Amino acid sequence: MADYENPEIPEGINVSPTHPLKDFALLVAGISTLLVVGVLILSLLAGQLARHVPFAQEQALAGSLGRWLPAAPESSEQQQRQLYLQTLADRLAAAMELPAEMPITIHYAPGDTVNAMASLGGHIVVFQGLIDTLPSENALAMVVAHEIAHIRHRHPIVAMGRGFAVMLTLSSLTGIGDGNLQQWLVGVGMLPVLSFSRSQEEEADGDALQAMLRTYGHVGDAAAFFEDVARRQPMSEPLAMFSTHPGHEERIARIREFAARHAGADKQPAVPLPAYMKSR
Amino acid sequence: MYDLIIFLVLLLLGYVFGQRAEKRHFKSIIEREKQLRDILVFSERKIPEADKVEGTLVCGSVVISVDFFKRFVAGLRNLVGGRVSSYESLLERGRREAILRLKEEARERGAQSVWNIRLETSSIYKGSGQSIGAVEVLAYGTAAKTR
Repeated sequence: MADYENPEIPEGINVSPTHPLKDFALLVAGISTLLVVGVLILSLLAGQLARHVPFAQEQALAGSLGRWLPAAPESSEQQQRQLYLQTLADRLAAAMELPAEMPITIHYAPGDTVNAMASLGGHIVVFQGLIDTLPSENALAMVVAHEIAHIRHRHPIVAMGRGFAVMLTLSSLTGIGDGNLQQWLVGVGMLPVLSFSRSQEEEADGDALQAMLRTYGHVGDAAAFFEDVARRQPMSEPLAMFSTHPGHEERIARIREFAARHAGADKQPAVPLPAYMKSR
Repeated sequence: MYDLIIFLVLLLLGYVFGQRAEKRHFKSIIEREKQLRDILVFSERKIPEADKVEGTLVCGSVVISVDFFKRFVAGLRNLVGGRVSSYESLLERGRREAILRLKEEARERGAQSVWNIRLETSSIYKGSGQSIGAVEVLAYGTAAKTR
């Protein structure tokens, strides 16, 4: 019996010396990076596929979403404004050689919002608040042409496809949020859901400038909207890198550069807006 | 959103209480191992000079619950593979505690050594889905008391 003994065993032989929090942080960081990359790739692929959805299908989808567009104008003044906008859009669409199966429908919205939006099915919403800030028809045409360019490049359906892929992946991975998905599907036609990427915005800007040049022979006042926004909120501009819309300064600079390349194109007088277009 | 908050609270509770329990347990294990060092344990099957001792079966078992934090980290580990260090310390505690309880029983019987020690591990709640789960470690052997 005296030959046997139990030596003292040093601590920590059977346990990895990693701190549990470090382990946790590494795992969470690694796996979430993988997830983000995976979702990003899926959403890009979905965007590529959505581009090939026939426009007629997109229109049918937009039509099946229920009431998400502003109601038709009731007063004759508003109807006049809508008609003016529609005529302008049709002229621009013709200049942009938009295919015949891609009709643009303009919706006039009397709200104060300084914005215009392109959505599924060739629908464009223009707010009175935007019209009020613009100095001329040329400036308005630039904004409308920009939205038409979004539709021409199928940006709304691409954005929807991407958003749908992200939602679907996340909800099937987590196994929760069936209700969320349904809610999102109902709200998909809501305009703010669709956001376009920076490169899409730049593409639309480029097309809009070309359309301006073809319609008016010059690009004067094209930067008016951005100049106005930049004047009113000089401080709230987010860092250009993180923003989906290119910075206003950047856009103004690009428009000026375009104008300089088409010499003398910005010296000509702009077409004024008819008086009935202004609410104040 | 509420799901996420509840989840984070559970994770935090699991971490704080789990780590505290683990630290205390290791402290107590090291202390009691010192007290019971004179009881020798061996995995050898044959008791030397068996005719001079009286042998009895002794055993010690322990059940330790996994905390939420450990389970979550282990779940993440399952996705990528590698050493599940959060469970390593849990099983280490289980094994040492089971041997300690076995030694305590041996001391009560007046034995000086335990032979042919075997360890069994089993998982409790296994297969019942979302439950946290616990691990049981059982140590048994033959305590030898000089006649």
